[in-house]
Amino acid sequence: MLHLRFDMGTLLLKGDVGTPYGKWDPRVDCYRIKAVHYRDVLTYLEESGFPLKDEVLSLPPVEPLESTVMLRPYQNEAWARWRRAGMRGILVLPTAAGKTYIALKAIELLRLQTLIVVPTLDLIDQWKKRVSDSLGLEAGAVGGGENTVRMVTVSTYDSAYLQAGTLGNRFMFIIFDEVHHLASPSYMQIAEMYVAPYRMGLTATYERSDERHQLLPALVGEPVYAARVEDLAGEHLSPYSYEKIFVELTAEEQQVYDREMTVFKGYLSKRGIALKSAEDFQKFIMTTGRDKQAREALLARNRAVRVALNSKAKLTLLAEQLRMHRKEKILIFTLHNDLVYVISRRFLIPAVTYQTPKEERSEILERFRNGDYRVIVTSQVLDEGVDVPDASVGFILSGTGSAREYVQRLGRLLRKVEGKRAKLVEIVSRETMEVRTSRRRHKIAAEA
Amino acid sequence: MLPSELLAVWKRKGTIWPRYSRFSQDDLAVASSLIETYSTHVGCKKRRLKEFADELEDKGFEYRFVRGLAFLLEGRSVFKCDARIDASELRRKIFEASGKLGVPTTREERKRVVEDAASELRMTDQEAERCLYADLDSELVLEKFKMLPPIELLKEYNIRLTQTLLFDATEARFTTTGNWQNIFRAVKRLGLIYEIEKDESLWVKIDGPSSLFKLTRRYGTSMAKLLPAILVNPKWSFEARILWKYTNEICNFKLESQRDGFLFRTSQPSAVAYDSNIERNFAQRFEALKSGWLLKREPEPVSAGKHVMIPDFSFERDGVRVYMEIVGFWTDDYLVRKIEKLKNIEAGILVAVDENLACGRLENLEKQSHVKVIRFRNRVPLPSVIRFLDEAYRGTRITQVGFIRSLPIVFTEPVVNYAEFAQRIGLSFEAVKTALAEKPPPDYVIMPTTMVRKDKLEQIAGKIEEKANQSGCLPLSAALEVVEAEDIEDATSVLETLGYKVVWHGISMEKAEVTKVENKPQQASDAGHSQTA
Repeated sequence: MLHLRFDMGTLLLKGDVGTPYGKWDPRVDCYRIKAVHYRDVLTYLEESGFPLKDEVLSLPPVEPLESTVMLRPYQNEAWARWRRAGMRGILVLPTAAGKTYIALKAIELLRLQTLIVVPTLDLIDQWKKRVSDSLGLEAGAVGGGENTVRMVTVSTYDSAYLQAGTLGNRFMFIIFDEVHHLASPSYMQIAEMYVAPYRMGLTATYERSDERHQLLPALVGEPVYAARVEDLAGEHLSPYSYEKIFVELTAEEQQVYDREMTVFKGYLSKRGIALKSAEDFQKFIMTTGRDKQAREALLARNRAVRVALNSKAKLTLLAEQLRMHRKEKILIFTLHNDLVYVISRRFLIPAVTYQTPKEERSEILERFRNGDYRVIVTSQVLDEGVDVPDASVGFILSGTGSAREYVQRLGRLLRKVEGKRAKLVEIVSRETMEVRTSRRRHKIAAEA
Repeated sequence: MLPSELLAVWKRKGTIWPRYSRFSQDDLAVASSLIETYSTHVGCKKRRLKEFADELEDKGFEYRFVRGLAFLLEGRSVFKCDARIDASELRRKIFEASGKLGVPTTREERKRVVEDAASELRMTDQEAERCLYADLDSELVLEKFKMLPPIELLKEYNIRLTQTLLFDATEARFTTTGNWQNIFRAVKRLGLIYEIEKDESLWVKIDGPSSLFKLTRRYGTSMAKLLPAILVNPKWSFEARILWKYTNEICNFKLESQRDGFLFRTSQPSAVAYDSNIERNFAQRFEALKSGWLLKREPEPVSAGKHVMIPDFSFERDGVRVYMEIVGFWTDDYLVRKIEKLKNIEAGILVAVDENLACGRLENLEKQSHVKVIRFRNRVPLPSVIRFLDEAYRGTRITQVGFIRSLPIVFTEPVVNYAEFAQRIGLSFEAVKTALAEKPPPDYVIMPTTMVRKDKLEQIAGKIEEKANQSGCLPLSAALEVVEAEDIEDATSVLETLGYKVVWHGISMEKAEVTKVENKPQQASDAGHSQTA
């Protein structure tokens, strides 16, 4: 008799039979198999006719659910393709296109123990609410101090990774929200250490600049459906416009900027270093750990960038823009927290950063939703996933060159409301490297 | 542990090494000035403390080192929010006001909003401005700080630096001298898998289930958490393989107590800790007996098949070793499994079972060959333990003596040292001595620690006689010199065997003499025999 059981994120096969998926583990004298191969091993052993005692799963009870989910045509198409692909695969849909509803539909129809893996604690709450609203189920949560497993459970990537040893055999279906995160070296082990045979990945930005998204098909399944903003804008997403406004640095700022950049560039040319790609830059950062001059050059560059990003002229322009858009709901995005708080103090508008206490954050978002607050300033925390309903104007005061960040920020404005026309405004300091950063995110975003 | 960006390393030819503080004057100066800043700036904002650390960096001290120390000091500090009212409450009022009146874009509009909210909360404008974000991390105020000497801070830094490096470890192995029970408990709790390798010492190799499939840093955090339990011992060696993420290469990392211990050692090795009063009580009573057995609490782990077991006690005497486990609460099932495990150990083992804590009925367990179960109530009975020890000792002795007799050895050297010989054949000194005393090889004279060939003995006797004066007296030192020249350690026994006696004139060695005792034949072959048990 063979025994197959779950052991801290892997499977152990006891008995004198090997499998093509396993590997002999001399430490414990039996075969060890990656949890991700659970279904394959089971099929193999059953077809080979070995008597097997399968002690792997430890599933929470299935609970009754009632669904109110109605899919739009393109969502239906995505769902059908995922089902045809053997209930595995990745759906690529723009923010606000309702990826969540497809996932909820899948839970409803599969009626299996499901783990939803999300990047942030906010998204745990958000998913719990959606599960409750659409399926009439109370979802369990793992992460942020909570630890309850139920038929539908929501967890952060961090907790799913850290607790793979105890959670890996408790679900049949696993949904990865913002699945591009899964490709990182540690998080990809979540996919390997959970037995769930049915898998769904959701994202608006499938491709990663480090190319690691190519690992995802083996972990979750192929991309089975993809739609772009342009495909859905108008009918399912709000139409939008985009504008870039240049500001001049003040004389004093320009002087500091030029001085610091000279230090930085002087160092680069002295050492013959060319910074053409992200990898080049990473290498340069590495040298600052052992080379004092390199570090000084880097600090000079950072000071210059800070001047450009935080220019007074931007705030003056922002004041004008806020006056012009008195009636709109507005989101202001910056790169650094410092600037968030400068803006929050100056214009007396609520700020949302990773430092904002959780209750205060949900209260701010709720009051923004019901109209008590009209403007929110945020750094990068609202870039991903969190629902910010019906904001119509976005100001980007500073950001990285990442196309993902741009697409995600744009996505915050696109949730469809009748008659809404979204507008994204970028405020850039002229004559600085910021111009190039801005161009870069557009170029990539346009190609995607 | 430190934030990973503060980890500074040396890396050369496949080895990696954190940039430890070696307690240089500079390092100590940085540490003490940071400590002083914290202790004299109670009531200041966190932001101000950070500025001070920045100044040290500007002076040219390595920034990761400075920040690392500051990070540790922050951990020893208590910060509080310095505001009379709840800052988030104040914000709510202000944002509500700006929501109602419209976002202020001019100075006047802004003033009106702040006044509105402040008056509602009965505070001044200035106070409102000050409190608006008083709960932000950088605005918090230092309330308490736990002092420590600079050198301790640097040692703490070195430990944390090592742990931070270990986050990226794919596997590790170590050997050490104690604290085994805690170490193995931690290994289990942290979800690691161990393997035992034995050379001169016992090495424990650790990784985790998924390590079988690929190199993974997944268990690095657990290894880092395990480290302090090893470092509390006076002696250890620790090795790890580090997957250095920036260059994607595997580097070796080695620490060794003799060379590196000074980097970390902070406290005296802790006293022996007992799990229960029963254990403590047993140890005290046993020690008082002076039985000749060396008692050790938590000895080195014993390998039992694939696993190790750390017995509660070991008893050692002349190379014979016996273990003892004291079992608290138990069920039949538990005991059966325990004894099943113990059967794999190649040494005598005693299991003392507390009948007061019985959760089942014990039957038919005592049949296992070298596993002996002693039942007790309240305290472990010494007589049964001693009886078992003596039996084990005798048993081992008989086997060993029999073994030596069966050896086809013909002695030829003029002098045979028992200890040396015992070591050569891997048996105990006592066993060798017993075997030789019971049946001495022909042509040899047996003495307490050596045996000497008869012709050699005669030769020595001749030399001594030659040197002696007419009355047969000789200074002790001269006599010893003659014997020791033959490479015999226990020279006095030889003199006694030859019928000499030491005559002391005062306590000075130089004045002592040896003199021949009349009619004493040269055959005290069983000298020292009475010492044998």
